[in-house]
Amino acid sequence: MMSTAQELHPAPTLEPGRTILELRGLEKRYPGTHALKPVDLAFKAGEIHAIVGENGAGKSTLIKLLTGVMPRTSGDVIWEGKPAALATPHEAMALGINAVHQEVVLCRHLTVAANMFLGEEDSRFGILQQRAMVRQAQKIIDDLGFDLPAHVKLGDLTIGQQQLIAAARATVRGTKFLIFDEPTAYLTRKEADQLFTLIRRLKGEGVTIIYISHRMEEVFELADRVSVLRDGTLVGTRNIAETNDAELVKMMINRSIEQVYHKEHFTPGAMLVETRNLSGKGFENVSMSVRAGEIVGLYGLIGAGRSEFVTTLYGRHRKAAGQILWEGKEVKVNSEHDAIRLGMALAPESRRDQGLCLNLPVGLNLNLPIYKRISSNLLISRAQEKAQADRQIADLRIKTPTRSALASSLSGGNQQKIVIGKWLAHGAKLFIFDEPTVGVDVGTKAEIYRLFGALLSKGAGIILISSYLPEVYELADTLHVFRRGKLVATHGFHTADHEEILTQALAEKQERPGGRI
Amino acid sequence: MSTEAIAAERPKRNYNALFGLTLLALLVLLWIILSVATPSFASANNISNLLRQGSMIAILAVGQTFVIITGGIDLSVGAVVGFATVIVAMLINAGTPVFLAILITLLVGVAIGMFHGFGIVKMGLPPFIITLATLTSLRGIGLLMTNGNSININSDSFTAFSRSSFVGIPNLFWMVILVGIPAYIFLHHSRWGRYLFSVGSNAEASRLSGVNVQRTIYMAYTLSGLCAAFVGVLLASRIGIGNPTQAEGWELQAIASSVIGGTSLFGAVGSVHGPLLGAFILATINNGANLLNVNAFWQRIITGVLIIVIVYFDGLRRRGK
Repeated sequence: MMSTAQELHPAPTLEPGRTILELRGLEKRYPGTHALKPVDLAFKAGEIHAIVGENGAGKSTLIKLLTGVMPRTSGDVIWEGKPAALATPHEAMALGINAVHQEVVLCRHLTVAANMFLGEEDSRFGILQQRAMVRQAQKIIDDLGFDLPAHVKLGDLTIGQQQLIAAARATVRGTKFLIFDEPTAYLTRKEADQLFTLIRRLKGEGVTIIYISHRMEEVFELADRVSVLRDGTLVGTRNIAETNDAELVKMMINRSIEQVYHKEHFTPGAMLVETRNLSGKGFENVSMSVRAGEIVGLYGLIGAGRSEFVTTLYGRHRKAAGQILWEGKEVKVNSEHDAIRLGMALAPESRRDQGLCLNLPVGLNLNLPIYKRISSNLLISRAQEKAQADRQIADLRIKTPTRSALASSLSGGNQQKIVIGKWLAHGAKLFIFDEPTVGVDVGTKAEIYRLFGALLSKGAGIILISSYLPEVYELADTLHVFRRGKLVATHGFHTADHEEILTQALAEKQERPGGRI
Repeated sequence: MSTEAIAAERPKRNYNALFGLTLLALLVLLWIILSVATPSFASANNISNLLRQGSMIAILAVGQTFVIITGGIDLSVGAVVGFATVIVAMLINAGTPVFLAILITLLVGVAIGMFHGFGIVKMGLPPFIITLATLTSLRGIGLLMTNGNSININSDSFTAFSRSSFVGIPNLFWMVILVGIPAYIFLHHSRWGRYLFSVGSNAEASRLSGVNVQRTIYMAYTLSGLCAAFVGVLLASRIGIGNPTQAEGWELQAIASSVIGGTSLFGAVGSVHGPLLGAFILATINNGANLLNVNAFWQRIITGVLIIVIVYFDGLRRRGK
C-alpha cells in the first residue's frame, strides 16, 4: 500500500552477487513453433543483465514466461533458491518481478498519479485520497529526477515521458527484479539519459535489472553481463568487459541457414513500379524500383518506416511528397482501390488487425478481393465462389476442414496462407509481403518461399519486408536497408555480409556520440 | 438423416439454418401452447391480428440487422416511422397521388439513412450518437410540422390497404414477404451482403482487400432508413393518421427482434430469417399475454427475461462450436 510507496525502494533481501533467479531448462512451445528451446541461465542479484537478439529470437517469450503472462511448456524457475510456478502475473508481482514494456500498458485517460497507484490506491473509508496520491506521486517523480507533473492525464505526456512514468511505477511496488523491454525505442536522448539514471540508481539499491535492447551502445553503456538469444536458443553469456559489439553481432546472426530459403533467379523484366523521393508519415525520401521477376527486400528494425512506406505506396495513407511511377508512367494512388486496380496486392503485417476477417469463413476471406468478378450484376455465382475458394485451399494446402470454417479456427501459418491466397486469384503484378512469415512454422515458410518463385515465374514483382535478416538476405535480389524512416543502404544479392547490413540497420553514430558502433 | 449429410459438408450454414429452425420451433411451440391454453388464440381473426402486429417490427428488424452486421446500431428507426407517418399523411392530404406520396416518403427515409452514413463516415461520429441525435430531433421536427396534432388521412383507399387481406393473409404480412425476399437475396447472395459482413468483422482488412468500406456503411444505414420509412407508410395506413409520436420505442423492439434472431451486436453475424422470426416471437408473447389476461406490466418483464435467455443460449451454442 502507501507505505511501500513512501519507502520508494524497499531493500532487496539478497546481498549482491548471489543468484536471485535461475532458469533450468526453461522451454516454450506454441502450436507450430518452438519459441524458446531449453534455456539455462542464472541472474545475479543487483546486476544489469542485457539480453540481445533479433526479432523472433525468443526475447519476448522469455519475458512473458518470467512475468507469468504465459505458462511455460517445461523447465524450472528458481527464485531465491525456491522453485516458483509463475503461473499468473499476480504471482510474479508478489515475488517482486515487474516489467516495463516497450508499449506503455497504462490508462491514458487517468492521471499520472492515478496510474502510479493503479491497483493499490490509497483510500480512507472507501474514499480515494486523491490529493495525497498526487503529492506522493509527485514526490517520487521529483525524487527520480524526472521533470514531470503528477496531476496531468497520462495521455497528455509524450510516449517517452509515459515510458518514464511506467518505469517509475515499477519502482514503487517492492520490485526486486525489473525487466525493461526495449524501453528506449520511443525515447529522446534526454529521456533515455533520465531512464539510465533511474536504472543505475535501482541497481545501486540492489534491484536486479534485465535490459532488452537492439541498441549495442546502450548495452555497453549500462550492462554488467549480456546474453544472446538466437532462434529461441541461448547462444552464450559474456561479461561486458570481455566482449565487443562485433562478437555480439556475430553471435546474434551466425545461424545455420536451413534449406528453407528456396530461391529462383529470373532475369529482371520490365519496370513495374518506381518511387522517386517518396515521403509520408514515418518515412522520407525513399527512391526505389521493382522489376518483373525480381524480389526487392526491405530490411530494418521494427519502426524503421518500411510498413509505412509500402502502405503509402498502396494508397492506404497519403503521401506527403514524391512521385509513384507505374510501368513507367506517373500515377496517383489515392486509395487502396487505385492500387488494386493498377495491379498491386498487399499482404499486410498484422493478420489479426489488417489481414483477416477472423470470425468469418475461410472461403469469404479468400474471395473478398474478387467478389466483383464472381458476381453477375448483383448476384454472386455460388458455384464460382465455391470453386475459387476450394482451388486456393487445395493449391496452397490450407489446412481447414471446409471453406466454411471460421478463419479464427486455423493456425497462424494457415491464416497467413489465406492472407496471401486471396490475392492469387485476383492476379496482381506487384505483390507486397509485409513480414509474411512471422509466427509461421518452418514448413509453411518454405511453402511461402516456393510460392514467391511461382509468382516471379509468371512475371510478377515482389516487395518483401522482413525484420528477419536471413529471410531477406537469402531471397532478395535487391536489398534495401531502412533506418529511422530513411533508405540508408542498398545491396545486390549476397553482395554484403550480415554484419554489414545489421550494422547499417542499427548504427546511430551521428545521433549518439559515445556509442560504440 | 439427410440433414446430417449436409452438416458434414458445410457445418456453418447448416448451423445457421439450425438456429433458424430452433427459433421456428420455439414459435410453433408458443402457438401450440397458446392454442390449448386459450380458446381465442387459434381463431382466424386473432392470427391475422398477430401477423399484423408482428409485421411492422419485422420489417424494421431486417433493416436494423443490416446495420448491426456492420458493427453499428440504428436507434432512429422508431422516430423515422413516426416522422414518415406525418410526411405521407401531409402529402396525401395535400392532394398528392398516393403512389407519389409513398415514393417521396421512402426517399425521405433514404435521405435520413444517408445522413447517418455521412455522420459516421465523414464526421467520425459513433453510430449510437448520430442515430440518437436523429431519434430526438426527428420527433421534434415532426411535432413542429404538426403543431403536436394528429393528421387524419382523408384517403380511404390508402387506409383500407392495411386492413385488408389477400388470399386470406393480411396485406401487412405480404409486405414482410415483399421486403424479406429481396433482403435475403441481398444479404446472402450478393457481394454487397458479403461486404456488410466483412466490414463488420474487420473494416481495415476489408479496406486493404479493396472493399469500399465507406460506401458499405452508407448502404447499411440507407437500407435501415428505407425500411423504417416503409414501415411508417404501413403504420399510417393502419391507424389512418400521421402522428410524429407514434412508434415510440420501436427501435428497441427492432433491436430485440434482431438479437433474438441470432444477430451479434459485435457485428459480422446475422441473417434475414432470424430477425423475422424474432419479431413474430415477440409479437406472439404480447398477443398471448393479452389473451391470458396477463398484466401488461408483466408482459414487459417477460419480454426482457426472454431476451436474456435466448441470447444467453445462443452465446453458449456459439462458444461450444
